[in-house]
Amino acid sequence: MQNKNYKTDIIPGIVIAIFSIGYLALVPGIQTFTGLGSTPLTNHFVPYLWGGSLLALSLWIIVRGFRRRKKYLAEEGKIEKTSLKNALMEQREVVASFIALALYVGLMDLVGFVIMTILYVFVQILILTPREKWGKTYVPAAVTAAVSGVLLFYIFRYLLNVLLPVGVLKFFGL
Amino acid sequence: MVLQGLMEVLQPMTIVLVAIGTVVGIIFGSIPGLTATMAIVMFLPVTYSMTASEGISMLMALYIGGISGGLISAILLNIPGTPSSVATCFDGKPLADKGEAGRALGTGVVFSFVGTIIGIGLLMILAPVLCDFALKFQAYEYCALAIFSLSMVIALTGHDMPKGLISAVLGALLATVGLAPIDSKPRFTFGLYQLNNGFALVVLLIGLFAIAEVMAYAETVRQKQDFTIRSNVKIKGVGFTFKEFVGQIRNAVVSALIGVGIGILPGIGGGVSCMISYTVSKNTSKRRELYGTGIMDGVVASETANNGTIGGAMIPLLSLGIPGDAATAMLLGGLQIHNVAPGPLIYEKNGVVVYAIFFAMVLAAIFMMLFMLLGMRFFVTVLKVPKNFLLPVVVVLCAIGAIGNANMIFDTYCMVGFGLMSYLLIKSKVPTVPMILGFILGPTFEQNLRRVSQLTSSDPFWNHPIFCVLIIATVFVVIFSARANIKDAQRAQAAAQQSLKSGVGDK
Repeated sequence: MQNKNYKTDIIPGIVIAIFSIGYLALVPGIQTFTGLGSTPLTNHFVPYLWGGSLLALSLWIIVRGFRRRKKYLAEEGKIEKTSLKNALMEQREVVASFIALALYVGLMDLVGFVIMTILYVFVQILILTPREKWGKTYVPAAVTAAVSGVLLFYIFRYLLNVLLPVGVLKFFGL
Repeated sequence: MVLQGLMEVLQPMTIVLVAIGTVVGIIFGSIPGLTATMAIVMFLPVTYSMTASEGISMLMALYIGGISGGLISAILLNIPGTPSSVATCFDGKPLADKGEAGRALGTGVVFSFVGTIIGIGLLMILAPVLCDFALKFQAYEYCALAIFSLSMVIALTGHDMPKGLISAVLGALLATVGLAPIDSKPRFTFGLYQLNNGFALVVLLIGLFAIAEVMAYAETVRQKQDFTIRSNVKIKGVGFTFKEFVGQIRNAVVSALIGVGIGILPGIGGGVSCMISYTVSKNTSKRRELYGTGIMDGVVASETANNGTIGGAMIPLLSLGIPGDAATAMLLGGLQIHNVAPGPLIYEKNGVVVYAIFFAMVLAAIFMMLFMLLGMRFFVTVLKVPKNFLLPVVVVLCAIGAIGNANMIFDTYCMVGFGLMSYLLIKSKVPTVPMILGFILGPTFEQNLRRVSQLTSSDPFWNHPIFCVLIIATVFVVIFSARANIKDAQRAQAAAQQSLKSGVGDK
């Protein structure tokens, strides 16, 4: 049963191992303080400790993953292959949500909180709604997006002094 | 002095301010990303024109409301409103999913009150004694405490220990970004000034929980027909029976004591206390295997401990002038604004204000319980809002919380980055909760380990009995938790094989 999960050991293990190697490679470049009051353990020690531990743990799950793969092959005889394109298509709502979120925060400073929030909330509601129900969703989604964008901006910018970006609306005197 | 303090709090204006502070605190606590600290920061200038008792009472109410409000979104949305409510998600959300949202909220609210009252009681009685003990905590002891708390991660890892440890180490590793402790040299900042202070805990929490929750829902869009969660709208009383309350007293007392103990120690805070008390409650329970499936015990452990932390954190603040966390640091500012100098002489110089603070805390705890119990039916209706409409608005609130943390858009980029990381880790079956412990405790461990490295030649570890006790306790925790995890894993594997065999047999 557990052997089927070998992919969730091997692939994350390799990614984390690469990440930890990259992290460890950056450690020697950190400036250290050697003046009065410096500590015998420099500011390199703990990053080396965490980076080394992460590398060791990732190698542990990689080895475990390959063992599981071997056992799985012995049990099942073959390995099902799925392409990255298929996997992304299968999770298209998740991919679309991340793209919408990235655009939302990426353009917020330039375009402004109100406009980006209205656009994001509207698009995200549609992404989270099955396509066959979109027809009935457009109007409530637009109302929710407009109300939440304007109301939250007003409350947090003017009543609670959170510096939400005004963006292009500054040309309208906001 | 005690009566004078009581009279100060019972002034109509003070009562109104405490009520307003509690409600605002609850609202801030329930919105992910907005914390008790931010509520206090925003209302600090408002208190300038008030008397010392009025102003500080309002700040205390904001603090108590802020810590308690986090349970609402933790239970209803699986997104902890504050770091103190992380462990409330473990059993609170499964309870809500089972249609017992009212019961989970009622349990959380009542035991938050119990935790606060126990904390205040201990604050009033034991403050001088506990302060002496807390003063014994220096570099060696903090280093050992961080190691001990990190060892609790093993109990939180579940069946897959290496992946749980990866999560914890990843958290500690993320905490190394920013200026290094002691020498303040930048590390892994890539020249970005926004990273000099490192990543903010609230931003990490939003990414790990809120964004992951949206993505988890997005995965099910094509399967889901019903957009709302079943909820227990017929809430009877507080959602649980008196017998159930009595059955939780031991759990609540132990959790409150853990909360107070952790609260006394600077730099640890409610985020750790709720997880440690959850782990202790789980490890000492006869129904260990039910934790995480939606039982009262988990909510009780987490909520009593995080509210107990409030009383604990006030002990060093009032008696020594040492704030335990960011929120109490803000309270220290509030005390100074009103010419109240915390320290050993505070009872002599500002006795009336100190007792007013105690009574204001009790009053805020009562208001917190009343408002949250009365509002429970309203909170539960949140579950009736279709999730495809609710979650995008929650994400926007989270983005506001991230921006409000340091008034930087940059934090929203980090939020999305952590969200992506969290999603990929969950897909890889890596638990994300140990990461929070690693993130909080990593800097404490590093700072004190480096201080210890300076001290070893002149002050060896055997001069520190607390250090030795904590290290021995760590060894026991590691052995006990690792054994329990291995047994759990073996049991789960045996059950899986059994069901596989019976499935083959049926065919």
